[in-house]
Amino acid sequence: MKILVSRRSMRGLIVVLFAAVAGCVAGGGYDGGVRVGYAVDIYEPGGYDYGGWGPGYGVGPPRRGGDQGRADSHAAPHRAYRPASPSRSMPSLPTHSRGR
Amino acid sequence: MTSRYRGHGGFLTRWSLGVLASIAMMATAAAAATFVLPPLVQPASSEHHEGKVIWADLVTPDVAGAKRFYGELFGWTFNDIHTESGDYSVALLDGRPAGGMFQRAMPPGERRQPAWLTFISVRDVAAAERHILAQGGKVLSPPRSYPDRGRQAVFADPQGAVFAVMQSFSGDPQDVLAAPGEWIWSSVITRDPDTDAAFYQNVFGYEVFEIPSNDGSTHILLSTDDYARASLNTLPADVAKRHPHWLNFVRVNSATDTATRVEALGGRVLVKPFPDRHGGLTAVVADPAGAPFGLLEWTDTDSKESAK
Repeated sequence: MKILVSRRSMRGLIVVLFAAVAGCVAGGGYDGGVRVGYAVDIYEPGGYDYGGWGPGYGVGPPRRGGDQGRADSHAAPHRAYRPASPSRSMPSLPTHSRGR
Repeated sequence: MTSRYRGHGGFLTRWSLGVLASIAMMATAAAAATFVLPPLVQPASSEHHEGKVIWADLVTPDVAGAKRFYGELFGWTFNDIHTESGDYSVALLDGRPAGGMFQRAMPPGERRQPAWLTFISVRDVAAAERHILAQGGKVLSPPRSYPDRGRQAVFADPQGAVFAVMQSFSGDPQDVLAAPGEWIWSSVITRDPDTDAAFYQNVFGYEVFEIPSNDGSTHILLSTDDYARASLNTLPADVAKRHPHWLNFVRVNSATDTATRVEALGGRVLVKPFPDRHGGLTAVVADPAGAPFGLLEWTDTDSKESAK
């Protein structure tokens, strides 16, 4: 009887250990998939539509020292963000290349 | 009874060994499933530029096809990392890491698309997670450490745009002008740039500048260390299928020539080249699997303006 109980206990222990270690290897991904190894397995919602882009729709950085100026965020009635001080000039990209 | 007891002991010993062997095998499998990624910066530096976009990973169902496409387009070469849990490839330009590519099957029955995931530098991923959650963001993939690479996590901002943060164990890349073929710029295309700017400012400490526009939409610039890091733009109002997202741009000498080449290599031109605010052309294209990215002309003259 003791042997039977011990065997059952050991088998139960193995099952628990197997499940515990397996849980360390694979986990559920947020998008319903199984995530293993590298946790950036993301697919974004499909169907980006880039209509509406064109002249005037600027996305790139301003040229440093250019004449784009800045909008007066402080004059706006409300902004959710804290605008940079009016004395700050518009930043741009780094000017020096690698190794210079 | 004694002999039976001895027999029981032998049974226990055999089963104990079996248990230990099972644990060892599973631990080995777990170790094999861990990606060992190369450091972001070699040799390691002490530079940290919080808020800077320091990495991009492409998640695609076809790494081999992506390697052909980006290799032909930008001259990238690749270092492959094979593990039991998937294939990862580090893209290199002149030997410097330019980005990563991760193979994963497309989820069946879902309308999803491959994308370049944007990684923003942070000093402390746990602190970033707290700020992101406090500001209405969502955890998509919890913080996790990768030997040599760093600690990283994936989030969505309150409007659903997906981004990642990385605490690089080898420091951040230098603040230098990207070479042609390297990532040079990032934009958040979103429904409400104003509130999204507040979110990113509160999480990453950005200075926020509003750029005048003549198209009635909002254009916002995010900055740290006196450098422009990213822009926020309003999703065009006449677009039916709108998903806020981050979009990364590769520096090119000619957006027109590169867009033509994209089509020849099996990709698509989503936005034809048009003049951006700095005078150079910009375009949006997609690789053959559908992952969108931008092209941005930026000449040395654009940079030298600052010396005047």
